[in-house]
Amino acid sequence: MSLEPQRFAAPADVARLGRNALVVGAIGAAASVAGYLSDPAQFFRSYLVSWLLWLGIAAGCLAIAMLHHLSRGAWGLMIRRVLEAGSSTLPLLAILFLPIALGLTEIYPWARPDEVAHDEMLQYKTWWLTPGAFYLRAAIYLAIWSGLSFALNRLSQRQDETGDPGLFRKMQTIAAPGILIYALTATFASVDWLMSVDAHWYSSLFGVYFIGGQGLAALSFVVIMALYLAKREPMKGILGANHFHDYGKLMLAFVSLWAYFALSQFLIIWSGNLKEEVLWYKERTEHGWNIIALGLIFLHFVLPFLLLLSRDLKRRGRPLLWIALLLLVMRWVDLYWQAGPAFSPHGLTFHWLDLATLVAIGGLWFAAFSRRLARRPLLPVNDPFMEETLDHE
Amino acid sequence: MAKEPRPSASDRLGKPPVLAPGHTTSSVTDQISAVILRGTPRWWYFAFGFSFLLVLLLLQSLTKLFLEGTGIWGLNIPVGWGFAIINFVWWIGIGHAGTLISAILLLLRQEWRTSINRFAEAMTLFAVACAGLYPLIHVGRPWLAYWLLPYPNTMGMWPQFRSPLIWDVFAVSTYATVSLMFWYIGLIPDLATMRDRVENRWSKMVYGALAMGWRGSAHHWHNYETAYLLLAGLATPLVVSVHSVVSFDFAVGQTPGWHATIFPPYFVAGAIFAGFAMVLTLAIPLRAIFNLQDFITLRHIQNMGKVMLATGLIVAYGYMIEIFMAFYSGNQYEEFMILNRITGPYRNFWWALILCNILAPQMIWIKKVRVTPALMWIVAMFVNVGMWLERFVIVVTSLHRDFLPSSWGMYAGTKWDWATFIGTIGLFLSLLFLFVRFLPMISIFEMRTIVPKSDSEEASA
Repeated sequence: MSLEPQRFAAPADVARLGRNALVVGAIGAAASVAGYLSDPAQFFRSYLVSWLLWLGIAAGCLAIAMLHHLSRGAWGLMIRRVLEAGSSTLPLLAILFLPIALGLTEIYPWARPDEVAHDEMLQYKTWWLTPGAFYLRAAIYLAIWSGLSFALNRLSQRQDETGDPGLFRKMQTIAAPGILIYALTATFASVDWLMSVDAHWYSSLFGVYFIGGQGLAALSFVVIMALYLAKREPMKGILGANHFHDYGKLMLAFVSLWAYFALSQFLIIWSGNLKEEVLWYKERTEHGWNIIALGLIFLHFVLPFLLLLSRDLKRRGRPLLWIALLLLVMRWVDLYWQAGPAFSPHGLTFHWLDLATLVAIGGLWFAAFSRRLARRPLLPVNDPFMEETLDHE
Repeated sequence: MAKEPRPSASDRLGKPPVLAPGHTTSSVTDQISAVILRGTPRWWYFAFGFSFLLVLLLLQSLTKLFLEGTGIWGLNIPVGWGFAIINFVWWIGIGHAGTLISAILLLLRQEWRTSINRFAEAMTLFAVACAGLYPLIHVGRPWLAYWLLPYPNTMGMWPQFRSPLIWDVFAVSTYATVSLMFWYIGLIPDLATMRDRVENRWSKMVYGALAMGWRGSAHHWHNYETAYLLLAGLATPLVVSVHSVVSFDFAVGQTPGWHATIFPPYFVAGAIFAGFAMVLTLAIPLRAIFNLQDFITLRHIQNMGKVMLATGLIVAYGYMIEIFMAFYSGNQYEEFMILNRITGPYRNFWWALILCNILAPQMIWIKKVRVTPALMWIVAMFVNVGMWLERFVIVVTSLHRDFLPSSWGMYAGTKWDWATFIGTIGLFLSLLFLFVRFLPMISIFEMRTIVPKSDSEEASA
């Protein structure tokens, strides 16, 4: 099999998809701006959840790419370009963080001075939760992730150009500490951005749960893209049932992991039944939010878990596509369920801005993603492990 | 699978092989079975004899315990859980590496597991045996320990199903059963090999009975492969579930320092960390004593080191997030508990724990350390000690400072606590010495499956 980079140029469809996404994103952005003008508080709250979803996909792509560099499994090479393009959008997401920074008082109780003045616990927590420190930490997290993805992408590009077989060691040298730094920063980011919407609540498992959710979202997105590419030249016939079998297994592992974290956190807090912890679950299991909670159990775990057990469904493209789409939607539902009750504890509500901001960020994000994907060959042909990966039948 | 074997990228890039070059299927069989057929070396009697003396010490401590009760231990209020639970968790954690190696690495198609899975599984069984002893003797009246099982009885009494202690009974007994099945089924083809190779008539009969009529027909192999894969699938969730349930023993209560949601994944990572440390502790001397360097290569030691480093870092993450959340939570008891761990009367234990579990394993980042078995053995010993200290710190520091200062106290193990603990180490070692003497400690038939590949690698090199 010849391994010239030109053979693996991305299909023209990818660029077209990106242009369409840009149009859709622009419409969403216009709607979001209109929503902001009419209801700023709602805009910021919807925006946070939407931004966290797309950020999770990009950051999850970075984490999976680093895991791939360390484990050197055949599974990773086939999707490496998708992972790289996904993680390369992190600078864009850093810019898209700005609305959250501007809407701090609408989102977080600890950012409202009048509320802090009446709440001893919030006063105590000012050692961590203050606007200044929050901005600084967000800048650090986003800069580190962008830097990691930039460094890895650049090495990967050099590998394409020079074919130096030693470059993969350099990638490993970045990925090993990178994954550690990522785990730490993502944990604190989860506390800052999501956990502190209810500034009284705390759970030491939360960061791990957040990282697992991001990984699952990124994996689902990557599987969708891989299925899309597998139907078109040049990947047609190269990305096959065996690869999707592997990705299906990985999804099964991530789905199980998500459920394990969710159950552990719930069981321990429910059992301990301490006021400062259990109220978080109480809010999320009444006034309509309980329907979402049940939905999470069945559609984020039970159904995808049972479906992914089947060898046949993993190997056939279409069912796997639907499972991946379901999991992406459920990732959004999970984020909405975690953040939403802090904003409307008295009942489940949806607002059209939830959708508008999701489309706005998603459209822009996907346009950036597909631009990056179209720019480079779809396979890292000069990777020393590439040859045997293509033999993986 | 590649149709025609050729050097894989990892070999081209200069990684040590999983099987030293030059071996054929018969040389593998000869060399591994020779360990048993060669007869008993003199050192074995000393090693086994010494371990057996420790078993006698265990029997003595148990006799004393049954006669006088748990008062001979250092337990009291407020520290009502001591060595028994510490040692239980320590031993059960060690077992996890065996299950991970045999089940998860099998499903992940990591063929380097092949030469270490057999004795890692044996280690799991022996560790579970030692672990299972502690809850039984801790109940005070061990002859009534069967009350832990839910069965219809005339007293109308049932265990408390909401208590994780009863989940432990199910988790650990399932774990022991599945581990035993997995190990034994994996042994059957090798037991048949031993049956065919031993000269002595009695040995032949024993191995023959244990091999259950294995003749190596295609039908046998087909059934075997199916059963083995199914058991691997069954054992995989056990790697996570057993230690998660153990962590629930602590976490579902409200005691500061125990009630933390991070406990389940952090305990599981700690278990695998401890388990790999123990596998290295055993594998490094065994490969030297029995000249098994061809089978347990530097690749294995490196890979196990990497797993140990990764899981050790997850454990470090657990410590870090516990400290952070204690302060972030604003809960004064959590805060006090953490400060008490770090600066209180047991601070030396805590700092020693950080040295053993966090600092020492960082040596594994250095490649030179990873490929030097002696250094890896030292790191593994640090981890063995560190994981014991971790459980000591968790159990004792959380209990000894109760909510009211009037109920504060101190705890130390008595000589009988130590005798029991050392006794179980003796039990573990005795079983291990019996195992390496009478059963093939490396899976012969699985090693044979990786021979042709490395043969042709040599040819093309």
